[in-house]
Amino acid sequence: MIETLDVVWRHRIFYLFVLPFAVLTILFGLWPILLSIQVSFTASATALRPNPTYVGFANYLVVLSDPAFLASLTKTFLYTALSVVANLAFALGVAVLLDSALLTRGNLFFRLAIFLPVVTPDVAGYVVWRWLFDRSFGAINAMLEMIGAPAFAGLTSARTAMASLLIAELWHHAGFYMIIFLANLSMRDKALEEAAHVDGATAWQRWRYVILPQLKPALIINTVYALIQFLKTFTVVVVMTKGGPNEATNFVSYYAYQLFDQGRYGEATAMATILFAIVILISLTFYRIADREVAA
Amino acid sequence: MSIARGDNRALQIAAYALAGTISLAFLYPYWWMLVSAFRATKAIMAAPIRLWPETLDFSIFAEIAQIGGVPLWRYIANSFAITGLSTVLGVTITALGAYALTRMPKLPGFATLRTVFLVAIMYPYMLLVIPVYLVMYKLGLLGSYAGIILFLALGPIQFFLFEQFFRKIPAEVIEAAIIDGASEAQILFRVILPMAAPVTATVALITFLLNWAQWFPIMVISKTPDTYTLPVALLAMNTELGANFQGIMALAVITTLPVAVLFLLAQKRVMEGMAAGAVKG
Repeated sequence: MIETLDVVWRHRIFYLFVLPFAVLTILFGLWPILLSIQVSFTASATALRPNPTYVGFANYLVVLSDPAFLASLTKTFLYTALSVVANLAFALGVAVLLDSALLTRGNLFFRLAIFLPVVTPDVAGYVVWRWLFDRSFGAINAMLEMIGAPAFAGLTSARTAMASLLIAELWHHAGFYMIIFLANLSMRDKALEEAAHVDGATAWQRWRYVILPQLKPALIINTVYALIQFLKTFTVVVVMTKGGPNEATNFVSYYAYQLFDQGRYGEATAMATILFAIVILISLTFYRIADREVAA
Repeated sequence: MSIARGDNRALQIAAYALAGTISLAFLYPYWWMLVSAFRATKAIMAAPIRLWPETLDFSIFAEIAQIGGVPLWRYIANSFAITGLSTVLGVTITALGAYALTRMPKLPGFATLRTVFLVAIMYPYMLLVIPVYLVMYKLGLLGSYAGIILFLALGPIQFFLFEQFFRKIPAEVIEAAIIDGASEAQILFRVILPMAAPVTATVALITFLLNWAQWFPIMVISKTPDTYTLPVALLAMNTELGANFQGIMALAVITTLPVAVLFLLAQKRVMEGMAAGAVKG
């Protein structure tokens, strides 16, 4: 104890450096999370009082036996899976295209065009997409009509709403995954491809067996990022659908947010804690699988 | 190469056509937003995909000079003030914190602090509404600029970029300074921070771009629209019934333009920085 204090005192300047960072992390990171977990064990009606009534796991039981929550969770997983695959496939395809020797001139223009939405405020981007999908104002249906294609129901139908959100989110996020792939592609060992070429490997074989294995770091990083990103999908729902139509896009974070709005704090924070646990579990599992793959 | 010349040429044309189509599809929403801001709502309903406004009419900007009882200039000033101050504060605090944590990782409490930070950034922060509201209430910061700015100061990419940079500084640099009799404060301010100028610029740029786009914490911490930034005002306007479509598009243009220009001016730094900051995560 004395020794520890001595170590701390001798390095007090480093504690001084780290102090503001520590204060902010504790005040606005740790404290709200602990409060949130605490509220999840209290009765909603008393949650915000100085002496709330503790109800154990009652809120968790209510949430886990609520069919609407389970439906919301299923939709969240489905949307996450589709989004991760669509975003990564698109970003990888574009990165390989832009990395090829075929596109030397104008390459920067293509990169800027696809990355610009990443730094565009998401609210602004999704507001524009909301109206692009609109039946009477929107450009998308006007274009479809012009080429004689059937109309796209967009946000007005439960069958197409999820796809519409996926398109808008892909526009906003794919550029980020693309630059990770591009960074990885520029670091690869090109001599290996030459050697494979000399050995008579076809273009497909070179891509599949020489290039793709070298992209494993970018694939892992992008998968983890995308999983966390899409499990937490929120802004696009607030701006474009409010969970509708007919609950089709009522993902977990939006559902929990609605409970907050109705004053059901206990259940809302229980739901938040469950989603937090899922996010951590999935990312850790994925990291572990990735580690084993690399080691093997 | 074994590929015949003609094939190569055809392949190149196909590659340009594909990359060009994708790029134009990504840029089209910006063009549509811009054109729609200058067209009357009736005209848009009649011809949604016109590529150029009928007349160059700026009157919409006078029409949205007041939004929700607050002057437009106030939202613009809020955006610049909140984003600017949270960036300066965040960069300073993160640089000092990341430096201490990477230089002396074994000091008591340092590893724990780093873990707490890493866990906190994984929490779905849109679910922190009530707790953050409570924390701000208990600190007396509800509805204040200070509350908003402090909440926006820390972020993961900023931390990872600094951490990555400080880890790469050779130990000899610091040892040499110690031998020269420099104090720890002198080492940081005379040796390390001058070396860190480029990474600091990158972190500041990225923080500005990310914080400009923030809306949810600002909405939660605000008591009235007086402390709203542009994205929050845009969302509020978009949620109104009987929405003023042309006004929404004009406000979306104002919200997007400053960061789009900043990004285009500093694109290399932003894209490389974001890629590097992510790879560390």
